[in-house]
Amino acid sequence: MKVEISRRRFLQSGIALSIAGGVSMSPSAVMASATEPEDIGKTKIVATLCEMCVNKCAVYAHVRNGIIEKLDPNPYFPKSRNMLCPRGNSGLASIYDADRLKYPLIRDGEKGSGKFRRASWEEAYEYIGEKLTKILDEEKDNRSTVAFCAGEGMAEHTFKNFYSGFGSSHFLNHASLCLATTVSGYSLTIGGYGQADLENANYVIMAGANRAEAIITPDSMDFFKRTKGRGAKLVTVDPRFTNTAAKSDKWLGVKVGTDLAFVLALTYVVIKENIYNKDFVEKHFNDFATYKKHILDNEYTPAWAEKITGIEADDIYEVARDFMKHAPQSIYYQGRRTTWSKNDFQLRRAQALFSALGGGVDIKGGICFGKKIPMAGHEIPSPIYDQAGSRIDSTEAAVVGGSGTWVGFRNKVLEGRAEYPIRALFNYKHNPMQNMPNSKKTEEFLKRLDLVVTIDTMPSDTVILSDVILPECTYLERTDPAKVYGGIEPAIVQRNKVVNPMYESKPIIEIMKGLTEKISKPLFEITKKYDEEVQDTIKEDGEEAVYAEFDLTKAFEKTQKELNEHAVAQYAGAAETLNEKGVFYPNMDKWFKKINVNEYEYYPESEKAYSVRNGKLKTPSGKVECNLSSLTKRGIDAMPVWKKEYEMIIPEGQFRFVTGRHAQFTQSGTSNNSMLLDLVPTNYLWINKRVAARMGIKFGDELEVASKAGKTKIKAYPTEKIGLDTVFFVHGFGNYSEDLTLAYNNGGRDSSIIEDSIEPMHGATCLHDTLVEIRKV
Amino acid sequence: MNLSIKNLITFRRTPLNLLVAVTGALLLAAFVAGAVVYFLHGHHAFNVTRQHPWGLLIAMYVFFVVSSTGLCIISSIGHVFGVKEFQQIGKRAIAGAIVTIISGFAVIALEIGHPITMLIYNVLTPGLTSAIWWMGTLYGIYLCFIMLEFFFLTIKINHKWSKIFGIGGLLSGLAAHSNLGAVFGFLISRPTANGVFYPVYFILSAMITGCYLIYIIYGFKYRNNYPEPLRVMFVKLNKILGMLLGILIFFEAWKILTALYGTMPERAETIMYAVTSPNFIIGELLLGMLIPFFIILFSNGQAVKPMVYASLTGMIGIFFMRYDLVHDTLVYPMTMLKRSEYQLPPTLLHYFPSPTEMAIGFGGIGITILGLYIMEKVFNLDPDSED
Amino acid sequence: MARYGMALDYKSCINCRACETACKAENGVLPGRDNYRIWVGQKEIEGEYPKLSISSLTYQPSQCQHCDNAPCQQVCPTNATYYDENRVVRVDPEKCILCTYCINACPYDARYVDDRTVTVDKCNFCSDTRLANGETTTACQATCPTKVRTFGDLDDPNSDISQLLEKREYRQIKEHLGTKPKLFYLL
Repeated sequence: MKVEISRRRFLQSGIALSIAGGVSMSPSAVMASATEPEDIGKTKIVATLCEMCVNKCAVYAHVRNGIIEKLDPNPYFPKSRNMLCPRGNSGLASIYDADRLKYPLIRDGEKGSGKFRRASWEEAYEYIGEKLTKILDEEKDNRSTVAFCAGEGMAEHTFKNFYSGFGSSHFLNHASLCLATTVSGYSLTIGGYGQADLENANYVIMAGANRAEAIITPDSMDFFKRTKGRGAKLVTVDPRFTNTAAKSDKWLGVKVGTDLAFVLALTYVVIKENIYNKDFVEKHFNDFATYKKHILDNEYTPAWAEKITGIEADDIYEVARDFMKHAPQSIYYQGRRTTWSKNDFQLRRAQALFSALGGGVDIKGGICFGKKIPMAGHEIPSPIYDQAGSRIDSTEAAVVGGSGTWVGFRNKVLEGRAEYPIRALFNYKHNPMQNMPNSKKTEEFLKRLDLVVTIDTMPSDTVILSDVILPECTYLERTDPAKVYGGIEPAIVQRNKVVNPMYESKPIIEIMKGLTEKISKPLFEITKKYDEEVQDTIKEDGEEAVYAEFDLTKAFEKTQKELNEHAVAQYAGAAETLNEKGVFYPNMDKWFKKINVNEYEYYPESEKAYSVRNGKLKTPSGKVECNLSSLTKRGIDAMPVWKKEYEMIIPEGQFRFVTGRHAQFTQSGTSNNSMLLDLVPTNYLWINKRVAARMGIKFGDELEVASKAGKTKIKAYPTEKIGLDTVFFVHGFGNYSEDLTLAYNNGGRDSSIIEDSIEPMHGATCLHDTLVEIRKV
Repeated sequence: MNLSIKNLITFRRTPLNLLVAVTGALLLAAFVAGAVVYFLHGHHAFNVTRQHPWGLLIAMYVFFVVSSTGLCIISSIGHVFGVKEFQQIGKRAIAGAIVTIISGFAVIALEIGHPITMLIYNVLTPGLTSAIWWMGTLYGIYLCFIMLEFFFLTIKINHKWSKIFGIGGLLSGLAAHSNLGAVFGFLISRPTANGVFYPVYFILSAMITGCYLIYIIYGFKYRNNYPEPLRVMFVKLNKILGMLLGILIFFEAWKILTALYGTMPERAETIMYAVTSPNFIIGELLLGMLIPFFIILFSNGQAVKPMVYASLTGMIGIFFMRYDLVHDTLVYPMTMLKRSEYQLPPTLLHYFPSPTEMAIGFGGIGITILGLYIMEKVFNLDPDSED
Repeated sequence: MARYGMALDYKSCINCRACETACKAENGVLPGRDNYRIWVGQKEIEGEYPKLSISSLTYQPSQCQHCDNAPCQQVCPTNATYYDENRVVRVDPEKCILCTYCINACPYDARYVDDRTVTVDKCNFCSDTRLANGETTTACQATCPTKVRTFGDLDDPNSDISQLLEKREYRQIKEHLGTKPKLFYLL
């Protein structure tokens, strides 16, 4: 008996894990949708893109007899560097998860009771249409009473096309929960968020960013090959000793929320000792004299910073001097999930200014802006609805952009301060019950809405608080819009369908098509009723002509295949290459070559887009902006300044809570993934060993962590890798949804204990400002 | 040979006999129950893990085959080396050797995952560098030899052939048994096991076990009321046993000292764990070595009745020697690194046998009791007039 | 034919454990705590916050070392553990009797009992999966984000691994035991 290559048995055993208690997934169910007659006996490899996280690494899916057996790296995408992280490999457990949503569901009991009835797609669309029509009728066609939220994904913009056609002002996504402050901090300062060229940088400070665990391509791939005496130096600044700290050359344990003091002190040192890149500053800094005076006058000395941050003054001097020694190939890394404290925006401004003082902007080894590859867009209806109210959350922060401030929006509605009622929510691939702090409030918010339509693949905590649930197929079952990833080595990538959608799930483009076909006309009737502008225009041009602009189905007329071909039509052979390899960039066939068994060259060195700005940055003055005086009238400091209120007093017996990532999980999206839970079955609370010993807490003890917002239960992990007054556990666990058999009640839940304060610039959340108490249970 | 059923099921119903009978029946039932659970769940019924792959069953197997080899050696003192006083126990000793090795094989058959595969491929593709192959093969040969020797001692009495097979059995038994020691002695991954100690000490331990078993078997049979020839033999046996125990204590002492000396990382920690555990202190040392040794010493070798009881404690001690052999060589994990973030760093491994293991392992004793009983009943194990 | 080994630039390892997942998916290893062919080892960090030793937290990816002088091969009574034509240590499940002597004999914790065949199993450099399909990389090598592993033919002087071992210093695990492991940890 030869042991057959038994990936299928592996899958079955993985599936068997989720059968206990959940809806069982029979092998026949897997086979039924997977096998066309021509699939039997055949093996094929399909080039596609992963969707387990934001990176969209290129993947080869091995399909045998219609079943996906393995996901391998696809070497063609420059950004993903021919690799696949543990989540990428675990996409198999995602498509074949027994708990996934299989058919449309409509709520059939109290909201939150978990009672749903199965419906056909037609029924579901009709239900949505009826409810929407009623709501809009009652709100007199105020389109903004229906909010739209989406999680990040390749098809997010397909969903946004529906939102644009619908005409609401409210689009919300993860920006205010993740990277709004760092993107704007760097953009407003150096004219772009940019891509840190970690392949060539020689000295990098990563503060809070945990690239060894929160994997970002190509940063995580490029940099850790060069640290620890192999050419580059990494300084990690983090209140926790993360895996990134283990890969670095120096780690500085900073007190939570005090990074700004550290950066200001670094700036002080380089200005006082005159070691910054004077040439660059003279040519490319705007109003540097004001900033210099500001820093020196405030005396942000290392000795001052030591008291606040806990980092020794000697270390601050050393880092500042080393940084400038290696400049301009030195970077103060931008970071990504930067929702920490109230001073987030100022911190990122200070970071960008310090980094720019080294001159590492728009050059090799510094922060690069790169190039994009232009793609053809397509017209979608974006009509103006006269009755649509403006964003209600624009009052909650200084600058509220198109992605809004989620917590600001939610709290304004809950506190009854909204200018008009918010009655419905369309939610695509988004899990507010886990991603927003204070789950109690989110639950109240969702229960308050008259209609919550969620489109998702798994029965998440948000899904079970919805009214209508529409099952999207997983990423392996659909072709998504081609997208360009700009940067030093830009490329266009396209996700290709690997197998047919299972059960009754559909890709978002088909869901939108079906939904709009059902509701477009009835909703237009409401517009006709209340919108005087439209009434007038109809009198002039006739209803048909006017409806042509309001026809929501227009955005979804073409198939994804047609849209993709159109988008890259200008590049000969691009569409075929995208279908075959999943990746395209001009001259790919000439430039792409294998260097050794592991690595490939995508662009020759001379063709990499290191410097693209030609000396003029994309800021109002064309230079690095030191002093944003226009912000003061909105209550935002023009220059980064340290305020006493940024220091948090931690009372005796309490701890400051921080959250973060592990490489094995993507927020809450992977909480039910059997392959990943095989690696890390549950999350644990990091608590300092000495503190734990004092409290009589041992490894594995069940603890209750409580804050003003709520409480959660979790096991203890005493470790010296965290400070005496800080505790941590990884985000995404402790799910409420009983339908997630592996994730239900597994581990501690951070969204129930984090308090929901927001910072003043964009209304981004402050996820590290919560104090907790701990006791054994 | 007396094969009548009536003979087989009748025995004198003294309290001791009944106790042994009931114990034997219970143990046998436990063995069957354990076997059933094993057939249902396989190795998941045991507490063996990838770090600690051997457990109570291996220990009991070693226990049984050591007993068998020991009885064979003691028996050969009489039949092979011609020492007169020991010729009278020859037949019963060989009977015991056969029964114990069959019990050992019964226990190991339920531990090896694929015994049929073993029978096929041990012959077709033997691993000649493998101590287990040699041990298995030699024990098979040994069993044949002692069965043939027994045949020529009881069924078709022929002293020439019985002596030849006796020598064959002794030699193959010694070879097989030292190979069993070499199973541990050859391991380079386990510093405590590696080396000359186990192959050599096993033979010594076998002889000691054989002595204890002779005491127990004859003590039970004669209820401490011995005919004179037997008492004379026991006194001689005492002297042999005393010397063996002295050598054993000496061996163990130096093994412990050399393992501790120099605090070599894996070796020193393991031996400290071993000597500070109650298994060793009470089981091996006190019950297994010191009590019998001091009784012999202080009675100048004359005590027979106390020695029978000391042999019972001695056998418990022997059991712990086998168990510690398996457990102590596995207790130090091969990697002291954590395999994932959320766990404690590896320490010395914990192992305790599962109920199924205990049922099968100790149930083997039930097989021994049954076997000895059948041997007594069917064959004439007392010395013939010619002896 | 060839003599396969693997060089690991272990300083690049970020302990993401993609290799573990890829190995399980490629080779059909069952989920479960004890079922693993490869793993990433780490020590408990030394020091007290905030004075922690970075070097004490090196990550050491590990698996079967495919020793040229494998103790597991020597102790197998039925030759179920054998060297294939590429000097890769393999287990023939037809011949394995599950005596688990090899698990005892392996100094590297490389072996475990596979419940699919109820025999002993371990890393086989993807010989019956990827290599049998004509691919030249192992699952763990291909998936690694920081390209820690280089798998190749040690007897071929032109292979990537041979050139790496010529240029870089390396250490091995427990080589004092004389097992001649074929995994090289580049310093």
